[in-house]
Amino acid sequence: MSKLPSTNKESSEKISVQNVSKSYESMQALEDVSFSVPEGEFCCVVGPSGCGKTTLLRAIAGLDDLDSGSVLVDDDPVTGPGLDRGMVFQEYALFPWRTVRGNIRFGLDRPACDCADCEGRVRELVDLVGLDDFEDAYPKELSGGMKQRVGIARALAPDPEILLMDEPFASVDARTRDRLHAELLDIWAQTEQTVVFVTHDIDEAVTLADRVVVMGTDPGTVQSTFSIDLERPRERTDHDFVDYVAKIRDELGSPTDTR
Amino acid sequence: MSTQTDTSSDAVVAGSFEGDLRRYLRGLGGLLVFLLVWWVGATTTQPSYLVPGPVDSARAFVDLFATSTSIVVPVLGSSPVLPTGLAHLAETLFHYVPGLLLGAGCGISLGLAMGWNGALDDWLRPLVRVLRPIPPLAWVVFAIVWFGIGHTGAAFIVFVGAFWINFYGAYGGVEGVSSDLTDAASTLGVERDLSMLKLVALPSAAPQVLTGFRTSIGRCWMIVVGAELFGAPGVGYEIINASNNLAMATSVAYMFLISLAFLCMDVGFRLLERRVLAWR
Repeated sequence: MSKLPSTNKESSEKISVQNVSKSYESMQALEDVSFSVPEGEFCCVVGPSGCGKTTLLRAIAGLDDLDSGSVLVDDDPVTGPGLDRGMVFQEYALFPWRTVRGNIRFGLDRPACDCADCEGRVRELVDLVGLDDFEDAYPKELSGGMKQRVGIARALAPDPEILLMDEPFASVDARTRDRLHAELLDIWAQTEQTVVFVTHDIDEAVTLADRVVVMGTDPGTVQSTFSIDLERPRERTDHDFVDYVAKIRDELGSPTDTR
Repeated sequence: MSTQTDTSSDAVVAGSFEGDLRRYLRGLGGLLVFLLVWWVGATTTQPSYLVPGPVDSARAFVDLFATSTSIVVPVLGSSPVLPTGLAHLAETLFHYVPGLLLGAGCGISLGLAMGWNGALDDWLRPLVRVLRPIPPLAWVVFAIVWFGIGHTGAAFIVFVGAFWINFYGAYGGVEGVSSDLTDAASTLGVERDLSMLKLVALPSAAPQVLTGFRTSIGRCWMIVVGAELFGAPGVGYEIINASNNLAMATSVAYMFLISLAFLCMDVGFRLLERRVLAWR
């Protein structure tokens, strides 16, 4: 508060996506997309399939080259992947030859990451995602929900400031998903990370997000954003909740496809 | 309630046991029928050396271990005396093992490099297309000209055979590495290409690399016998040597010795494979 008001508007933002365009062969995946995420925010990006939301997330992760525009993290342009941005994948992308412990440990063994007590850190994370007794199991032995818990713990291990999640719960059953939502919000409350969470499920977005970014398709653009001003935990039957969902669904213009 | 569960699980165990037993009995039956046909065929064919019978062959097999032979160990130069069968098996292994290991090592290395590096792949792919279809035994002439008739020449031919099978195992394995896994590794701080190869591509390709190696174990037994027909010492040479003396039963005994040696190696490697790939 005592600081002078910044003249550069972007400087208060953790992530700033500026006029990003990206096309694949004949498809324009993203066209002139700009938005930003303040530090510590839980931001959900929703949109129909093919709207480029995964492309956007990969751009922030630094996994793809952009046609034009740039992504800034802490005002520095992203030039490639880094341990400051952890990513959780839709199909888990766990290393099948490594145990739960080995997967979580992966990022901690990189030279760029210095942890004083790696073993302790792994145990802490196993505990955090509730996988005690499964440390020595291989991914093939785990259910979808458990696999994604490992995926989250693995991404959290190097203590990234940003957590990027690409439809992480799309392949787990509805009840497990509800539980994982609650766990994820718990973890987020503890770690105070900036989260960008991509989903096509409006209910999921309204359950989790501080702010929902709605994307339109062909070409992928940001249509509008909604701040979700509801106490957590949120009830799906709550009147205001239903209201938000309806508004976002109107914006998306597809009343039937809600998952 | 608990007794009921016990009974049903007993039934399942008994069922699978009966299934196993039936399978073994059928397999045994097949063997017996084969022996019978072999025996009938052998006793009705004249002259008798055309088809040596099972009894004669078994006797020849026992003889392989009742007599002893002195062999020369290459490099070391010592000449131990071993039971004849083992002695000639050892002679074969003196070129089989180095040929197989060197061929597999080089094939896997090149396969990994070409599967991983697009530029190298572009450079070498046409060359591979040209060299690959040449049967390993076609290299016999060069083996003889370059290395002479002996262990080195035979090892060279085994090397060629092992090389290609292992090359394709590793090449296919690395090409099939999922981009999801390499993406995940990138976000977890893997920056250098070599680290990615070591940490992601190689373990991910391991099943195919090991399958390639196991296939080459069998293929190299076929090749090694072919190579020895041209004069390198070993079981393959003994097959032709015995037949030159019309001791066909001895040839059959050596054929079974090869089959036995392959079986042992294959079973051993499968056990190792299951252990290494426990995560699958």
